[in-house]
Amino acid sequence: MSEVKISAEPRTEFGKGGARRTRRAGKVPAVLYGHGEKPKHIALPSREFAAAIRKGGANQLFAIDITDGTQVLALPKAIQRDPIKDTFEHVDLILVRRGEKVTVEVPIQLTGEAARDTLIVHDHDTLSVTADATKVPDHLEASIEGLEAGSSVTAGDVQLPAGVELAVDPTLPVAAVTAAPTAEQLEATLPEVEEATDEAEAEVGEVTEGSEGADAEGGENTEARAEA
Amino acid sequence: MLMPRKPPKGFRKPHHPDRSGASKGGNRVVFGEFGIQALEPAYVTNRQIESARIAMTRHIKRGGKVWITIFPDQALTKKPAETRMGSGKGSPEWWVANVKPGRVLFEMSFPNEQIAREAMRRAIHKLPMKCRIVTREVGES
Repeated sequence: MSEVKISAEPRTEFGKGGARRTRRAGKVPAVLYGHGEKPKHIALPSREFAAAIRKGGANQLFAIDITDGTQVLALPKAIQRDPIKDTFEHVDLILVRRGEKVTVEVPIQLTGEAARDTLIVHDHDTLSVTADATKVPDHLEASIEGLEAGSSVTAGDVQLPAGVELAVDPTLPVAAVTAAPTAEQLEATLPEVEEATDEAEAEVGEVTEGSEGADAEGGENTEARAEA
Repeated sequence: MLMPRKPPKGFRKPHHPDRSGASKGGNRVVFGEFGIQALEPAYVTNRQIESARIAMTRHIKRGGKVWITIFPDQALTKKPAETRMGSGKGSPEWWVANVKPGRVLFEMSFPNEQIAREAMRRAIHKLPMKCRIVTREVGES
């Protein structure tokens, strides 16, 4: 994956107030650490960062040019997003060097189509791999072409590019191919639900009666206290 | 219908759960291909969850799977009609899930995206808040 050049400026104000002011100014608050150095708080331009992540994925390598004159290479370690607006709230960046081996989580893409009337159940959608910091793949591929129900894809079945090694057990399940539920199986769940509903209503009724009794007793006590 | 087997001791008549803030977790689709995401805070009752699930399941007919990723574990109480105030707290009336914006409520796996979206649209009509359909994003951190 090619590196993306991005400029950054050091952050001087911290906390939620400072972070919000940074976001309002069209920047993403970030922290840069690694290699035993002191953490550096920086602000990245929001649009450029979002575009790079959209294109290169969560493992995009950044060549960061900080306005104080430092130039560093970094990989995103943790990205916090707003769940509704999908904007970036904060980014943790880890310093890397050219030629250094890093262990990162790389997304898996399933290719091909499984046999008819099957359903794919994803067990893991990323895989931990060790690769050169400048050659981290943006995704890994695993084929599910023609797989029958009952078969599965493991980490060992994923095609790895040259120079990339698995950092997990090769027997780790990635996806399972199961038989798709038939119309009869789906319909069979619905009447059960209606029966269960009646039972639940009966239970709620019992609870309500019991609690009313308790309340009534409470009420008598209150009246007795008032009389006293 | 979903409800706890037995409410924990001392939690039979709890105060109303806090509705402020956004969902801290469960914001992504992890099991299926599509999901229904809440955009507003709400108390979703077990009847609404069941109704939405039935709407979805009836529409897809066969070949799909539905996951429910919320659980109605909070009891809400109600005093009977025409009752004077006082005399203790009302009796448990509903079981609700305290849903905050961003929470994924249902997930679905189905080969045809158009049918899956229509099924989820029908399910959203059974829910008490604004929702949107989201898709699985591979490799999102």
